[in-house]
Amino acid sequence: MRILVVEDDALVADAIRRGLGEAGYAVDHVDSAERASTALGAESFDLAVVDIGLPGADGLTLLQRMRRGGTSVPVLILTARDALADRVNALDLGADDYLVKPFALPELVARSRALIRRSRSAASAELVIGTLRLDLAARRAEVDGNAVSLTRREWAVLECLALNIGRVVAKDRLLQAIANWDEDIGANAIEVYVSRLRTKLGGAAPIRTVRGLGYRLDDAPG
Amino acid sequence: MPTGPESASSVSRRLLRLLLLPLALLLGIGVFFDYVSGSATIRSAYDRALHEMALAVAAHLRDADADGRIDADLPPQAVAVLRADSVDSIYFAVRDGDGHLVSGDADLAAPAAGDGSEFGDGRLHGEAIRFVTHPTLIGRTPVTITIAETTRKRSAAIRSILTSVVLTDIVQLAGTLLLVWLGVRYGVRPLRALGEQIAQRSARDLAPLDRARVPAEVRPLVHTLNALFETVRDSARAQQQFLADAAHQLRTPLTGIIAQLDLLARESSGNGLGPRLLALHEGTRRLAHTANQLLALARSERSATTHDDFAPVDLEALATDAVAQYLDRSLLARIDLGAEAAPARTLGSLWLLRELLGNLVDNALTYTPAGGRVTVRSGTAGTIAFLEVEDDGPGIPPDQRMLVRERFRRLPGSPGNGCGLGLAIVDEIAHAHDARFAILDGADGRGTRARIEFRRA
Repeated sequence: MRILVVEDDALVADAIRRGLGEAGYAVDHVDSAERASTALGAESFDLAVVDIGLPGADGLTLLQRMRRGGTSVPVLILTARDALADRVNALDLGADDYLVKPFALPELVARSRALIRRSRSAASAELVIGTLRLDLAARRAEVDGNAVSLTRREWAVLECLALNIGRVVAKDRLLQAIANWDEDIGANAIEVYVSRLRTKLGGAAPIRTVRGLGYRLDDAPG
Repeated sequence: MPTGPESASSVSRRLLRLLLLPLALLLGIGVFFDYVSGSATIRSAYDRALHEMALAVAAHLRDADADGRIDADLPPQAVAVLRADSVDSIYFAVRDGDGHLVSGDADLAAPAAGDGSEFGDGRLHGEAIRFVTHPTLIGRTPVTITIAETTRKRSAAIRSILTSVVLTDIVQLAGTLLLVWLGVRYGVRPLRALGEQIAQRSARDLAPLDRARVPAEVRPLVHTLNALFETVRDSARAQQQFLADAAHQLRTPLTGIIAQLDLLARESSGNGLGPRLLALHEGTRRLAHTANQLLALARSERSATTHDDFAPVDLEALATDAVAQYLDRSLLARIDLGAEAAPARTLGSLWLLRELLGNLVDNALTYTPAGGRVTVRSGTAGTIAFLEVEDDGPGIPPDQRMLVRERFRRLPGSPGNGCGLGLAIVDEIAHAHDARFAILDGADGRGTRARIEFRRA
């Protein structure tokens, strides 16, 4: 899997390259938007990590060019400016996620992995989370290669959580996800399904309860 | 914003004082002169009537035998006519040159007669009288005719004139004063409106004042104020730009150093350098945190924030976002972080409010021990929209609750390695939003409940 890093600061770029390299990704580094455009035109990447503050054309301009050119490569924006305008702009222009400097290297790696997994699952209809494998087309789940039998509602909840791995999914959204299969859903229905999922999946994919908000499916540790 | 003391320099009071006192004085003098001239007219009219009576009496006198003995040929009917008056008593006396009474009332004293008719005041039978002495010659005999009447009619007439003059004058005076008062009030209304327009503004509202409805006299003032607003806006903008650039210049190398130290520490975990590199990594991380907090404080300071970029902010979304953002840290610290978010909106700056809530949650997570509970709330109460972060940690003693908002102030013996800017930032941002920042007891008197009350939007 190949990642393009667009960052003009040598120290940061080097650290990102090493960090992502350690995590098993092939990393190409360029220090300007122009070189990034060239690289993106020549090769195919699974992710672009783009710093906003580039000399010449900045990261947002590059992002805009990429999206206009029809490139669907997921983009993780790096910014040293915390003004909200930057963040909103980046997401509006089609960025998939952003990180504000200074960030911790493990955080960058985790976000990169999540973005790549999300875009690959969209392409291959398959989602792998630790020892959990989800076949989105066939609606089948496996843990350690063993099929797990899920009801349609349980599957709907798991799919919704898995597609948003690492993000808190509001209870309302999960309710909407199963509403198609069930006309009469009680307020506690989600809790019931989540508790059943926890039992069936074991420790393969921990589902955390976020008090007052909803649930979050976490990557299996390790 | 409180208005200052008005007494010293209120334009309308000054105008009223300058106009009302002289006007009242002027009208008072008018009343006096009206009274004086009115009563003089009445007096002279009655005097003339008295004089005519004297002339009428004189017409009845003749020097019958030209011997100096005056024949007072006053028939009883004439005397009756003379004395006929329903209100006043009329007296008369005709005396010859020697002062002997020829006819009339003996007790009417004859004052010394001069050359012409003379009027005077006196008393008769215990009543005030007005009299006229009219010296004349009957034939060649000098005669003095004295006619007197009590002053009841005069007094009544003067009283009535006094009443009517003073009454009309008082009505006129009151009317004038009222008109002046109304005029002044109406006249200074544009000034009042301007004052209210300024008073109702937030101190950080730097939008120019409307010059169209402002009277010409204060237009230079408004013009100068607008220019000042513009200057403050520009300098706030410049400061924000500077801080954004400074943030970029500070954060990028810090990111590089932290990331490199992280890598180095992991690579050296086997040898003796590992722990030292980890400590270095941690120290640099703290430095980065302090730099971040300093930048946030500078950006939220009053001099750097204006209401220009204020927009409706969804506090509910802010609260749930904060929980989602800090979830990993709470899991690591084994703290139950949750939300009780109800819909609430206010007018503000989204990134400043995010900074504010982030600092409150960060504080709560830092000072709450493992196994504790932190709850982020949003909601409304009456005209208020609020954000709340409650923990069940050790709490902040009441006498420390103002102090902890000061910059670089940390409670003695507090854990963690914060830089003591978190609550100062919260305080600044609350100020920038004209919001109230209160540090309260948590539920059951345990822990801390930080509450920010905004105006509801």
